[in-house]
Amino acid sequence: MIRIDKVVREYKTGETVVPALRSVSLEIKNGEFLSIAGPSGSGKTTLLNLIGCIDAPDGGEIWIDDQAVSKMDTRQKTDFRRNNLGFIFQTYNLIPVLTAYENVSFVLSILSVEDSEIKKRTMQILEEVGLKGMEHRRPDKLSGGQQQRIAIARALIKQPKIILADEPTANLDSATGEDILRLMKQMNERYGTTFIFSTHDKMVMDWADRLVMLHDGSIVSDERRRQ
Amino acid sequence: MKFILQLALKNLTRYKRRTIITAVAIAVGLSMYIMVDSMLAGVESESMRNLRWYETASMRIVNSEYWEQRSTMPLDKSIQNSGQILSDLRAEGIGATPRIQTTADMILYSEDFGEDGSMPVLVTAVDTQTDFDVFRFVDTLVEGRFLNPGENAAVIGSWFAEDIGAKIGYWVTLLARGNGGFYEAIDVQIVGIVNCPNPNVNRTLLMVPIDVIDEHLAMDSTVTEIAIALPERADIEKTAARIQEKLDPEKEHILVLGWKELAKDYIGIAEAKRGGTSLILFLVFIIAAVGISNTMLMAIYERVRELGMMRAMGMKDRAISLAFIFEAGGIGLIGSLFGIALGIVINIPLVYFGIDLGFMLRDMDMGYRIQSVMRGAWKANTYFIAFAAGVVLSMLAAWIPTRRALKMTIPECLRYR
Repeated sequence: MIRIDKVVREYKTGETVVPALRSVSLEIKNGEFLSIAGPSGSGKTTLLNLIGCIDAPDGGEIWIDDQAVSKMDTRQKTDFRRNNLGFIFQTYNLIPVLTAYENVSFVLSILSVEDSEIKKRTMQILEEVGLKGMEHRRPDKLSGGQQQRIAIARALIKQPKIILADEPTANLDSATGEDILRLMKQMNERYGTTFIFSTHDKMVMDWADRLVMLHDGSIVSDERRRQ
Repeated sequence: MKFILQLALKNLTRYKRRTIITAVAIAVGLSMYIMVDSMLAGVESESMRNLRWYETASMRIVNSEYWEQRSTMPLDKSIQNSGQILSDLRAEGIGATPRIQTTADMILYSEDFGEDGSMPVLVTAVDTQTDFDVFRFVDTLVEGRFLNPGENAAVIGSWFAEDIGAKIGYWVTLLARGNGGFYEAIDVQIVGIVNCPNPNVNRTLLMVPIDVIDEHLAMDSTVTEIAIALPERADIEKTAARIQEKLDPEKEHILVLGWKELAKDYIGIAEAKRGGTSLILFLVFIIAAVGISNTMLMAIYERVRELGMMRAMGMKDRAISLAFIFEAGGIGLIGSLFGIALGIVINIPLVYFGIDLGFMLRDMDMGYRIQSVMRGAWKANTYFIAFAAGVVLSMLAAWIPTRRALKMTIPECLRYR
């Protein structure tokens, strides 16, 4: 369970203070497939960054499974991210010199998992995301959709509680985008992983079980579409 | 740690172009450093060698009072028992030769030189039989011949000959003060011109047979110095101390002086120059360091997003730093190895052939005892310094921007372009 309580985030540019989130409160249950939507500058990425413990709020609190992540120090946040969170980025952010296999497996290497276990799990997840036979290809030899599949596999391999995806389909054509969303949904159902993804794309919003709309840093609607 | 090393190695081998470009920059910088250091070391060691071979010898024995008053070169303060000292030294297998040094006015005549004139000169009276045992003039003759005992003849330096317009067969008169203060005129014919690698000698040398000076200046078989040659690797200070102990432990009458003591002025200038050359080396080093830093800096900054992703995934900052530093160390290692190899390749012709700067040195006294060809030298510690600096600097050059990037927030890293 994620509990966001009156979270405020402001950015300072010189003397000017720009509010990115204005007292946002939200509860997200385990296993939800939730989309945070809104126009550009509405605070979607900021909210994802706060939940993902890669940014800190200026006010309010964020709790994940009874842990006050907003009060953690940098080291604790790093440990928390390593053990509990997965990330999918708009631009995939794969390491260009590593193969598909290495890009995925490195997450387990960070967790000091044994080599034989790394190999087993990596091959399994690559098969699940439809990249069997492409393990040795580097990102530049793969399409955008395939690269995002690697990113999904990378996020999933450590079986995190939560996966945060910042506009995961923004760089893909609509058909490929839909493939990616289908895959994310499958993984959500198979592993019970909470998926939180941001978007401003109507098609992507339609895939969400729950849609939270942001506007100018405030939640303007919170709509549950499917159970 | 294993994963960090693996990641560093993968980045190193797969960013081939960047690794090669950075390693080449490091190699060029280090080879420049090696080259400059080699030239400076070569010039200094050859200069000191030329000083020993043509000016000071390895060491000299002098009268204590003569040494005290050496600016006036007093002939009455000469070594009395030179014959005994020389035979003792030779019995020990040490090459030694007597010399008399004095000043004179050299008078030039219009019949030979086109116009009459005179100039002060330093006369070096040499034992024509034994001087070659100590000094290396044997291969330096460019015209004429060497001196024969008892003849009123002179051998002069080639630049000196050029400056005064002297040719073989010309006569000059040396007006010198004899032992006791009287004036004596000695007519000598120039019979040889030498050109040695020591420009100071080429500019000033005027050698005459010692027996001629002995007779004309009433030296009564005394000499102003006994020059001694020791093998190149001999411990000069130790040998000088041993001979001193044997001849006159109290140093009341006889002094045995090593070449460094004899060339104190030169050594002083050389020390001062070393400060300058160190500065040059430092600047070369800085240029190399800036080159390395710049390429490493660019290599790190183009991967800030990658670094941000790793942080988001929960990789510790220390592990990320280490991965980048190991990678940079690997590039530094490759660059340093190439740099040293390149330095060796460049140094081979520098050491064996050198660079001919005779056109500059003829009219310019840089203080170095090198006439034309400046050669490099092999210095093992330079290669060690270059190697270590290449690796350490690369790691340091990676550490600084990595640290800066790690100070950025993760979202900043992920947005970085």
